[in-house]
Amino acid sequence: MNYAEPPDADILEFIAQDGCTDEQFDQLALRLFAYQYNANAPFRSFCQRRGATVRNVKSWRDIPAVPIDAFKAMELRCEPPSPAERVFMTSGTTRADMRGRHFHPRLDVYDLSMTRNFAQRFMQGVERMPMGILFPDEIAMPNSSLAHYLALAKSTFGSADSRYFMSPEGIDLEGLWLRLEQAERLGEPYALLGASYSFVHVIDALRQSGRSFHLPPGSRILDTGGYKGQSRELPLEAFYAALTELLGVPRELCINMYGMTELSTQFYDDGNAVVPSVKSGPHWIRSRLVDPATGNTVPDGERGILAHCDLGNFNSVSTILTEDVGEPAENGFLLLGRAEGAQAKGCSLAVEEFIRSAAS
Amino acid sequence: MNTLRVEAGYLPGLSANEVQWQILPFAQGAQHVEVSVPVLSPDQMRTLAERVKRASAQHLKTLPVSEIISVIDRAVARLLDSNDPYRQRADALLPLVSGYDTEMVRLGLTGFFKTFRAPQLHRFIVEDFANPKVLDAFQPAPKGGAVRAYGPELLVHSWAGNVPALSLWSFVCGLLVKAGNIGKLPSAEPLFAGWFARLLAEVHPPLADCFAVVWWRGAGGEDADALYAQADTVVAYGGNDALQAIQRRLPVTTRFLPHGHKLGFGVISASALDTLKAPALARRAAWDVMRYDQQGCYSPQVFYVQRGGQVAPREFAGYLAGELANLQRRYPRRALDLAESVSLAKWRQAIEWNTSAPSGVDGLIGDHEAQWSVAYTDDAQPLAPSALQRSIVVAAIDALDDVGPAVQNRSAFLQTAGVAATPEELYRVAEQLGAVGVTRISAIGSMSMPEAGWHHDGRFNLLDLVRMAEIEQSAEAAAEPFAPYEP
Repeated sequence: MNYAEPPDADILEFIAQDGCTDEQFDQLALRLFAYQYNANAPFRSFCQRRGATVRNVKSWRDIPAVPIDAFKAMELRCEPPSPAERVFMTSGTTRADMRGRHFHPRLDVYDLSMTRNFAQRFMQGVERMPMGILFPDEIAMPNSSLAHYLALAKSTFGSADSRYFMSPEGIDLEGLWLRLEQAERLGEPYALLGASYSFVHVIDALRQSGRSFHLPPGSRILDTGGYKGQSRELPLEAFYAALTELLGVPRELCINMYGMTELSTQFYDDGNAVVPSVKSGPHWIRSRLVDPATGNTVPDGERGILAHCDLGNFNSVSTILTEDVGEPAENGFLLLGRAEGAQAKGCSLAVEEFIRSAAS
Repeated sequence: MNTLRVEAGYLPGLSANEVQWQILPFAQGAQHVEVSVPVLSPDQMRTLAERVKRASAQHLKTLPVSEIISVIDRAVARLLDSNDPYRQRADALLPLVSGYDTEMVRLGLTGFFKTFRAPQLHRFIVEDFANPKVLDAFQPAPKGGAVRAYGPELLVHSWAGNVPALSLWSFVCGLLVKAGNIGKLPSAEPLFAGWFARLLAEVHPPLADCFAVVWWRGAGGEDADALYAQADTVVAYGGNDALQAIQRRLPVTTRFLPHGHKLGFGVISASALDTLKAPALARRAAWDVMRYDQQGCYSPQVFYVQRGGQVAPREFAGYLAGELANLQRRYPRRALDLAESVSLAKWRQAIEWNTSAPSGVDGLIGDHEAQWSVAYTDDAQPLAPSALQRSIVVAAIDALDDVGPAVQNRSAFLQTAGVAATPEELYRVAEQLGAVGVTRISAIGSMSMPEAGWHHDGRFNLLDLVRMAEIEQSAEAAAEPFAPYEP
């Protein structure tokens, strides 16, 4: 096997095929691991500290999961920097001092991963439809993976009259209302996509003005990313109930995407009639639930922290340890939010309180 | 599945079916226990407070302090007796609710209870009162006149959990100053205080109504307000946010004695680091880290180790790691919940991925799956908490004088420092640490076992609870002419 060359071509082929066996997944995961172990020095020393080598890693489950904080601390990359590369950065709302960076020398793998998955999970057989994007475009946010994702959705799956409803002043609500009225009038299904907090602003504006829409059958909504302190916190139940009530989109077609800057592949649910919904990904990403203190998989059925092995992450590290709590579910997992640090139960000062006191 | 049900709290004058009960479930492996804790209405809380005040005025305030000591001593003797049903219950259930290793709890409880025997309690009192009889009657004051100490009518405790039986400290303090005592159980260890109340009532039945042990959800609502409104003194343990929340609901005239979370550390001189003494010192240091998985306010979170001894700081860190590995086999760490596991992982990750470290020697020692963590740093940083759960930083220093500056901007969180140094160094370091806020200096190995009569957070445990009443000389002199035998 050639460990020096990135296995991009194999990955593209793998993503393009319809499904895979466990053996096929492991085979490519191990090939990618061997490549990254050789080409990514900080990753290699991390693996060595974990006692993981190309010899004893025998399944994707054995690949050490790199904590997402590592994307903040150093450059996790296999190929040297190039002028054409795209760098996606974390939004840095949880820790403003340092942002995680994910280097993409080429976007072909990312784009194929996104479009294959999006076609199936969001478009569901529809080739193109008019889209409204409630998020800044790629020019405004060149380092946002979500901005790229939404631009790709619009260019690949949006019909010609798709557009952004975002200006430096915020959401162009008047323009949005006009467009939604038009969709109602034409009876043409419409798709709204954006950050979860943008939808909270839409909900609040509609409530305030006493308006509501009933978008034609087949209309759908994609929200992602949670509220990130950019809007008020709305419980999931209230959020989706409000979208259905105010926009007339059934909860089955209110789809939530779970993605991360540190990944090249996204997870989706099959609508949010029931919350929390079951999230799942395509055949080129696999997830397990781990005890973060040891990195070991938790016993069957227990909650744990999500670790993802994404074969689309060809230039960084395939396997990352998130800070999200997951619970196993049939054909996927439930996403239970971000893991909170422990509050002190005894009398010894804990990090959480210390940080708060230092900040105040 | 075998689930044990236990009723917690102690409510004189209220029968079980008069109050509501909330169930707190605990499980360790296949063993489950459900602890029912009482939820009182505001009216019930008021009635209870009045009953406790009345009874303690009648039965506790009238007992000489040495008799109170004798009652506590008899209760503690039973807790030290491994055949006593109370002690057996403690040995069986406290590991279950706290998650700590059974043997660790057993050892910890025995060491702890020993500090509450009669000789230790007498010493405890003379630490604060040169003449303990001031708690019983007016005593001559050196400046003239006479003085007497009165404990609160009602002392309310808000206890912290996780270190089993921790409630005993302030409960005993309250009894020694003859206060009516009502304590609020911590949800993390809701058992011991109620048992101790029952045991006292068994040992000396007239005291049965002089105290109560209650519980409420979270920070409490009107039930807690009803109790706080009746208290003349409140002792509370917890984080600063929780303490502030309690303080805000107290009348300004209520005395508030808060004990916040603390950050302990150790200082090891090069003179203690020869090849014979260093391994033994590392063993004692490991015990301080192991006891209750660093949940005590006195637990060390950093050891500052001086360069220049026969054993280098990095080597000492290696010894410490070895000792923690040994202790893990004898007294395994309690199982962590997901939030604790996340906190520990974040702390370890921050060290593992720290690229600003100057040299290759910094980092975590040992296997990443170990149930303990030793982080070594060549460059002592300002004092900061570790992730607890047996995670400790060993930081190299050039001179013992470097420690004061490293900890001084954390003065609000300082309490215990363990020191291993020559007698001259000990006093020099003590001067510096005392000046920046440290209130207790112990040997390494004794950090997590404060001696009887220690001054918790540098305060007077008993003196802070009382109010002094003085008869001035003028009153005494003025009384003389009114005596019937005066001409």
